[in-house]
Amino acid sequence: MKKQTILIVLGLLLSSHDMYFKPGAYFLEPNSAASIELYNGTFERSENTIDRNRMIDVSLVGGGKRLAVDSSQWKEVEGVTVLDFIAGDAGTWVAGLSTYPKNIELAANEFNEYLEHDGVLDMLVWREENGELNSDAIEKYSKHVKTIFQVGETLTDDWKTVLGYPIEFIPLENPYDLHSGHAMKVKLLWQGEPLANQLVYVGSEVESHDHGDGEAHSHEGTEAEADHEHDALQQLRTDAQGVVTFDISHQGVWYLRTIYMALSEEEGLTHESNWATLTFQVGDGHSHHATEVHEHDNEDVWGIPSYVYWVGSLLLLFGLFYWFNKRKG
Amino acid sequence: MRRFGIFTFLFALPLFLMAHGVSEVDQEILSKGGLLAYIRVGAGHMLTGYDHLLFLVGVIFYLSGFRDIVKFITVFTLGHSITLILGTYLGYSVNEHLIDAVIALSVIYKGFENLGGFERWLGVPSPNLLFMVFAFGLIHGLGLSTRLQSFDLGEGQLLAKVISFNIGIELGQVFALIPIVYVINSWKKQKSYDAFYLAANYYLLIAGVFLLVYQLSGYFSA
Repeated sequence: MKKQTILIVLGLLLSSHDMYFKPGAYFLEPNSAASIELYNGTFERSENTIDRNRMIDVSLVGGGKRLAVDSSQWKEVEGVTVLDFIAGDAGTWVAGLSTYPKNIELAANEFNEYLEHDGVLDMLVWREENGELNSDAIEKYSKHVKTIFQVGETLTDDWKTVLGYPIEFIPLENPYDLHSGHAMKVKLLWQGEPLANQLVYVGSEVESHDHGDGEAHSHEGTEAEADHEHDALQQLRTDAQGVVTFDISHQGVWYLRTIYMALSEEEGLTHESNWATLTFQVGDGHSHHATEVHEHDNEDVWGIPSYVYWVGSLLLLFGLFYWFNKRKG
Repeated sequence: MRRFGIFTFLFALPLFLMAHGVSEVDQEILSKGGLLAYIRVGAGHMLTGYDHLLFLVGVIFYLSGFRDIVKFITVFTLGHSITLILGTYLGYSVNEHLIDAVIALSVIYKGFENLGGFERWLGVPSPNLLFMVFAFGLIHGLGLSTRLQSFDLGEGQLLAKVISFNIGIELGQVFALIPIVYVINSWKKQKSYDAFYLAANYYLLIAGVFLLVYQLSGYFSA
């Protein structure tokens, strides 16, 4: 079983057909030029671009407003579809994209192989248990991706916006309010309702270069890939409330992926799948009021360095002592 | 010269220790460590929390004899442990600036009392010190609890984490009190003790007022 899991995870890393939204930088300066790359392939490498006419919805959500993205803002760069935009005001922003369904026809063995490689294990087990391993498949599939990024320092509630996609991840906490060591909870919605007992894969990469400069980096090619260390993919399941919980073990970019596949009653189809991913970055944590003014910390008070107050205190104390001592004498 | 050295040591001690009091670093320690991390952060917080230390300096000045010191520090410890543990466990917190403003008032109170302010300027006897130390202990504990709750405490073991933080607070308190008690008691044998007493307690008044204004300005500008 362990060997099978390793093979599946390896397959997911090398040959899955996922779609991810990957901002050039997850921490942006307000009103700065930015870009988001749309990867179609694996988290590490995009195999092909996505045509505009396949996109039902492309949205940016920030400041409580949902903005539709103009198709002219897209471009293609070596197999990656890239969205250029100007980051808005400070806040925690969400970008989402949903595609129209497409059909694919696969021979039984190809379909089984794809289910195994992409980690759609529940359907593979169902086929085994129901003697369907030799049945060919015609599958309708669509993909729905989201990313959450932070503009400036101000945290806003836009991260929990439900975009209304057939399937989507909704974090239960702002990822930019978290830091390593925290157990993160993310809810999975299917048609707006919690999806229980669904397989979810969670992966991450440890950044070895600074993404905090607000500038977009290119993640194309092997050079950029060498800048990241990838952690092993975790295979998890949502609980009865549709919530998946995982430990944020380190700072860096994190992603969740799931494929919900069901038998289809639609004429000419055998299966329907909806794919969802979510990406975000965990930094050093912006919450817990740790950065708020508190006189116990090594912070400046009213813009004056702490040591000035301490030197002033010593001088005051010594001055008082000198004065009282002299008066007594 | 020797007296000046002791003088400097006593009041500059928090300055040197203060370099460790960085919240983000504390959060990282808490996130990656176990219960020992909570003890460490608690101790560090007490050592760098100069409003707590200033209040204790004021209390120590008033006392004579080791037995007295143990009694009053025990009452203060009891007070702050109650609100620290209960407040954090029940998730009750208050505005950080306001509670720290009240703690600043406790520093002013102690300096004022040590200078005989109640009798000299108000014409009334000082309130029972043991009761006041317990009451201020409760307030300091609420401040500590609010501070602890400003960290992400993660999942599970909440009570154990709070108690560990409290143990750290007590260890930090003992560590800070040893040199304070030593210096004050040593100075009592010197002729200049009266001047030192007046200087230190007027300093408590001035520092308390400064902390009060600082916290209130933080509250109103937030």
